[in-house]
Amino acid sequence: MTWPTIARKEFADALGSRMLWAIVAIIAVMTSLSAALSLLVPELEGGAETAIGGASQFAGLLVPIMALIAAYLAIAGERESGSLKVLLGLPPSRGEVLVGKFFGRSGVVAVGLGLGFAVSGVVTLAVYGTLPLTAFVGTTALTAFLGVAFVGIAVGISALTATRARAMTLAVSAYLGLTLLWDLVPNGVHLLVTGEMPGQVVPAWLLLLQGLSPTGAYNALAQALLLGSEVAVEARIGGPAPVYLHPGVFLAILLAWTVLPLVVGYLGFRRADLS
Amino acid sequence: MNDTGTAPAGGSADRGGDTPAIRTSGLTKRYGADVLAVDDLDLEVRVGEVFGFLGPNGAGKSTTIDVVMDYVRPTAGSATVLGFDAQADTREIHERVGILPDGYGLYDRLSGRKHLTYAIDLKGADDDPGELLARVGLDAAAADRAVGGYSKGMTQRLALALALVGEPDLLILDEPSSGLDPNGVRLVREIVRDQADRGKTVFFSSHILSQVEAVCDRVAILNEGRLVAVDTIDGLRDTLGTGATVTLTVDDVPETLSLGEIPGVTTVTTDGRTVTVIVQDPEAKVAVVDRIREDGAAVLDISIDESSLEDLFTAYTGNAPPGVESDDAPQGSESGDSPQGSESGEVAR
Repeated sequence: MTWPTIARKEFADALGSRMLWAIVAIIAVMTSLSAALSLLVPELEGGAETAIGGASQFAGLLVPIMALIAAYLAIAGERESGSLKVLLGLPPSRGEVLVGKFFGRSGVVAVGLGLGFAVSGVVTLAVYGTLPLTAFVGTTALTAFLGVAFVGIAVGISALTATRARAMTLAVSAYLGLTLLWDLVPNGVHLLVTGEMPGQVVPAWLLLLQGLSPTGAYNALAQALLLGSEVAVEARIGGPAPVYLHPGVFLAILLAWTVLPLVVGYLGFRRADLS
Repeated sequence: MNDTGTAPAGGSADRGGDTPAIRTSGLTKRYGADVLAVDDLDLEVRVGEVFGFLGPNGAGKSTTIDVVMDYVRPTAGSATVLGFDAQADTREIHERVGILPDGYGLYDRLSGRKHLTYAIDLKGADDDPGELLARVGLDAAAADRAVGGYSKGMTQRLALALALVGEPDLLILDEPSSGLDPNGVRLVREIVRDQADRGKTVFFSSHILSQVEAVCDRVAILNEGRLVAVDTIDGLRDTLGTGATVTLTVDDVPETLSLGEIPGVTTVTTDGRTVTVIVQDPEAKVAVVDRIREDGAAVLDISIDESSLEDLFTAYTGNAPPGVESDDAPQGSESGDSPQGSESGEVAR
């Protein structure tokens, strides 16, 4: 088993390149800002839970791009520089390289997010005098999961591409498509089916469509965590929640977004000619 | 974690008597529709020999090595390394093989020493990094610096050290002398001899003939993806029959020059006071000198050129189409300091 060695080196590299600290700093600043927003804008109502919800909204946009940046060159960069030939000339198989890269970079992203959230937890505590521990720890864990999912996507992309430029193109496309443009899909489907844009109360399937992207699944889970799984859904659809909107479904979706890109990446990488 | 064990010592398949170190059969690699990089290659490298793999840039040398190392998959045919299948048993192979690949790169931010400990960990070996550094002539201070600041020569030395991790039974060097100064070239030669003395196999590709000639037991010449010759250097000389060239400077060329009658002499040409004689038979050289004096000339100077591998090489690959020749040109000096991608894409058929 050589992948733990590879994962350890990946993690140590991230410390040396300050990538980890950049993640910590950005997350700490952004989530602290959103937690402290009620101080800057006194009209805003809400307690510590709303603050955590605001932080998770921010994280939903920031974490995917950070995870993609942290991992999109994991394999393609080594392939372009030629160090992959040295690495694969040693005992590790291509699969072990892929797995080692995934766990190493996931560790970097998860630890970075954890430390960044810890800072904002302290800020929240200072501002509101209280920190709802379950909501806070749960949101941190969910955000780390979102980061890991995008590391899986990034490593999958990296395994499929031979050059840095191509990996970058695909990573940017993945970010735009999965984070920013995805919401157009449910709205578009709604428009096609009903002839109008979604209103206050929406059909249940719309929430499922929204939650099919990794960021969508993350948002659904974060709301379920902060508001209670029933309440979050029922307020939107104006009725009892169907089974397919259970939080477990969204957890499975997030897990699928982690694993499937790795599998697809591996299948391409396994057969690739490296010269 | 060390479930790979001390791999090389008790190597299984390579102890089976006549199991070759490398064997390819019918090996063919095509890139796209019209690039045939390696064409039906049958090659056998025996355990314990130093084998030179020779050919112009673009002949398919690196592609062959890429298949042997499973960097690329063959279009047809197969390869075995130390008795293991190159595509199915990569772990078994890579535990026993050290490789200096074509167009390799290293980790810019990592120190030389960290490179070595990483490779030692991954190979489950117990080498002392200091010993490896000493073998390739990198000093400790350099080894603790990041590789991004290394010169080409230092990088190449470190890459050689990486290839030596884990006492490999088979050392594969793809153009190992590129980018090295004369000291570095000598170092490569010493390492190859050292491995040979330890009973290990070395497979050594080069387009620089003198390096192969100096260290190899046998050579293969590859041209346009095809094997054109496999033999010892002496064997190749005999096969081709290019012997030695004797150049005589005389006071006056005799009118009755009877050198052509000497057995073993194939060509006689004169130019002013210079007589050039090509002989196939070593003893004919002395006879040439004796005869020209009998014919009445006083010999002022003699030089003898044994045919070099260069001549042999040209004889085998000389009729190569211009495309192959011109591949050398952009590389500049014959040290070919750009190993990248030189092997793929040129051999259009």
